[in-house]
Amino acid sequence: MLKVACVIIIFYAFLYHSEALPSDLCRIRPKDKHCLIEYMARNRWSHQIRVFKRFREVNPDLIPKRMTENQAHTIAVPVEEIEKLPELKENPFKRRICQVFSHDGSGNLTFEDFLDMMSVFSEAAPRDIKAWYAFRIYDLDDDMYIGREDLLEATRLLTKGELHAQEREEIVASVLDEADVDGDGRLSFMDFEHVVVRAPDFLSTFHIRV
Amino acid sequence: MDDEIEVDPRPLSSRRSFTLRNSAARQVAVNFMPSRQIPYNTLRLRRNNTENNALLTDVAEAADEADNADVQANIIVREMEQHHQLMEDTPDAEELRREALRELPQGLTMKRNVRAKLSASVSLRSKRKPISLWKRFKYRMSFGWKRTKDRMRDLVFSIELWYEAIRNIEGHFGSAVGSYFYLVRWLFTMNLLLSGMVILFVVVPQVLHDKPDKTVNFGFWDFISGQGWLEDSLLFYAHYHDGAVVTAGLSYYMPFAYFFTMVCLYLTCFAVLCYRTAYSYRRNFIETGGGVTLIFANKVFCGWDFGIVSHKAAEFTSTSIYNEFKELLSEQNRNKVSMPVCVRICQYMTNIVATGLVLALVVAVNWGLWHMLEAETAWAGWELAVSALLTLVVTLCPLVFYGVVKLEYYTRRTAVYVTLARTWLLDMGALMLLLVYWSRSNTDCWETRFGQEAYRLVLLDAVVSLLVLPAIEFIRALIYKLNPDSSAPEFNIAYNSLTLIYNQGVLWFGLLFSPLLVVAVTIKFFILFYVKRECALRACQPARKVWRAAQTQTVLYVLVTLSLFATLFGLGSLFFRSSSKVCGPFRGYETVYSVLSEGALRLSEHPAAATILAFFGRPGPLAFILLFLCVSVYYMRARALAHSSMVVILRHMLVLQAKDKDFLLNAIAKVSNGEWSYSPKAAEGPDSHTWKYIRDVRKPSNSGFHFDASRLSHSFGDRPRSRVKEYRPYSHLTERSKSNDGDTDSSFSWQGSSSRLAQTEDDKRWP
Repeated sequence: MLKVACVIIIFYAFLYHSEALPSDLCRIRPKDKHCLIEYMARNRWSHQIRVFKRFREVNPDLIPKRMTENQAHTIAVPVEEIEKLPELKENPFKRRICQVFSHDGSGNLTFEDFLDMMSVFSEAAPRDIKAWYAFRIYDLDDDMYIGREDLLEATRLLTKGELHAQEREEIVASVLDEADVDGDGRLSFMDFEHVVVRAPDFLSTFHIRV
Repeated sequence: MDDEIEVDPRPLSSRRSFTLRNSAARQVAVNFMPSRQIPYNTLRLRRNNTENNALLTDVAEAADEADNADVQANIIVREMEQHHQLMEDTPDAEELRREALRELPQGLTMKRNVRAKLSASVSLRSKRKPISLWKRFKYRMSFGWKRTKDRMRDLVFSIELWYEAIRNIEGHFGSAVGSYFYLVRWLFTMNLLLSGMVILFVVVPQVLHDKPDKTVNFGFWDFISGQGWLEDSLLFYAHYHDGAVVTAGLSYYMPFAYFFTMVCLYLTCFAVLCYRTAYSYRRNFIETGGGVTLIFANKVFCGWDFGIVSHKAAEFTSTSIYNEFKELLSEQNRNKVSMPVCVRICQYMTNIVATGLVLALVVAVNWGLWHMLEAETAWAGWELAVSALLTLVVTLCPLVFYGVVKLEYYTRRTAVYVTLARTWLLDMGALMLLLVYWSRSNTDCWETRFGQEAYRLVLLDAVVSLLVLPAIEFIRALIYKLNPDSSAPEFNIAYNSLTLIYNQGVLWFGLLFSPLLVVAVTIKFFILFYVKRECALRACQPARKVWRAAQTQTVLYVLVTLSLFATLFGLGSLFFRSSSKVCGPFRGYETVYSVLSEGALRLSEHPAAATILAFFGRPGPLAFILLFLCVSVYYMRARALAHSSMVVILRHMLVLQAKDKDFLLNAIAKVSNGEWSYSPKAAEGPDSHTWKYIRDVRKPSNSGFHFDASRLSHSFGDRPRSRVKEYRPYSHLTERSKSNDGDTDSSFSWQGSSSRLAQTEDDKRWP
């Protein structure tokens, strides 16, 4: 409800964002709690502040209220705690998502990793970046190909283990039949991108709102 | 190496039977191919850490993590340096660099490193040419404009009205229901802006002009029907002054203000809506689809809505995905019996008959409405009764149409679109009818009557959608709780969106005649958001079937735009005819259009301009323009069709190229072992292609030549099967000779040799 009042006020407070941002590498604004890199997704300060609040909610003891630049890429929250976040809790691919975005592949995320993750999943991320990260997430064994085992595991996770093995095999065979263009029995990034960029719902499903 | 291939009846697994060594070798070979070195015109880097490391194993073997990242950053920087337009020291190049970095699929730390190195490299290279004054000015303008755009976008994003609420709903119900609330929010914002403009330019001057000595004799009946005291209030057209408003020495001419404000608002809204619709259409229809629809792949990769937060919604989603998979599998396994022609004709006929019935229903409703309006009795509540009946019809007809469409033979999504279109037709038909009736009736001040009608419609619809429908939802939820076997109440997105479109349509029609109506509708949408949110969260269950929201959004935008277009058409034709002489701000003018022609432009003083404008108003030029538009639409459509058939052809080519690549890589692998030979078939004569080739090109002195008479066509059985096997998904698209050994040319074949010497060499060469 407060936001309605803000709607009126902000129209008259147009100069709020009037300072020009220099092209420094790292600019510390007094009201922000961490170092923000200027190129980030169209300067969405409000988005980044929300992300930081979310990150801090995971473990308030571990993460200080004001984070310095160094802390942004050293303090890592363990993967079990990240998975308890409401946005990830129900996601069948949560472990793989954490692994993809973590700096060392283990799943423990620093703030920068978390910010990366939320930017990729936000609305502003371009379709190609989303396709790339979706490819890495579905590639469960991390061999740069979505192979048969990856697809079997993905269908199992999606249906929470309901389908029989035979049905899963059929599904995987159909997927490979449809999507595998170069016919090597697995999906390379080109194949995957070809499928996903043309799906009407990819952008709306591959989207986490923070 | 080839001897390790297993001949397996299941073709998919045979591809996995290459040794890891071979696949690594292949991978390195593939990485050096030109198609993997994607040029940086597109500013993309698709390789990731693992691939780079494969190339740099000997360099980065003993390095620790920091060095490894540094080396990768160096690689990226080196590749970006090859593009000159990126490395200049101008603001344009800086923007390009920033874009390139944004699109880089790397982590933040890597991007920061690359950024630092790039800056260092650029400053080293910059030649420090003095920029001329003009160029500096141009840069500053373009830079300033870009900054302003970014700031505006950031402003808009930072407002984010109802952000938490929509996020909560999306978490529980998925992004489809979220898209409905986005539509509510978008329409609310647009109406808020409209009301701000109207109040500022039209209402405030009138308020200043009014004498504050009117007695307030305000009854409940007046409030509902818009008559009585409200009739001569700010709410309706009649109240507005038709001369100049003079306050504190400033003169403000009301007719101009009213006319131009309304026209500008309508046209701006139309432009914004067209842009929004086109953008949505492009994103959801053109950039996607356009070729083969991949059902299973889409289901697996885009099936899970990542925004789901609640456990119940997750359960529902996985159940629905399970059901959809089963459905797809059973459809696939069923023999595709193509339906006989007569059955299909029957289905078409049914569809046509049903459409005819629906159209007849729409016409009947309009006819009934007309007669009701004509049979105007002296009863005071007559007009209210008409409005109430119309609201009832508009509320119930979608349900009737749902029932009708179930009897027809459409796919589920087409059924939804068809229902939406029919309901829209009904709504617009009724509103147009009202406009025509009131403008043709010879009552004085018909504009106010029409404005009152619009006001009553909005009010009654508010009663229905804010009170009656939520009550029904809660009752259904109660019934479901008491009796879990009955159908669970779900949030009906299509029906609710129709309410929005209807309200917006009424607003478009009524805005001209009742300026404050837009404020009423804004308030209504505000309340509607909260009511629907409570309804959804407390009474509804997540949907059982997945609803594809993106394309339906486009259809909804199209309908809103079409409503505005119909309004503009209707009101525009009214403008040219006449204006009310008795009331309203256009009393002094012959037609409303003459406000523009006489008042503003004073065309009677410029007969030349008047004749030119009159010429364009005649049917001839208009027909010509219409014809031109039709031709250009046809041209665009033909081009689009040509593009899509091109896509199909290119896809075939892609498949063939992949097969070629396969074959050649195989050949490379074998040739590098020194194991290849030509063995012409016994049946060929000395003039055959193979023999000529061997004689002229592969001279016998060549070390690889090896003629082995024993390896002729009868030894097919133990010839190793190449990877270009029979099981090909698109094999029906290409003609292939069904030769058993997979050769494309029957005259020579690749032979593998199992010499140990060759194998150990192979070991050494490919680590």
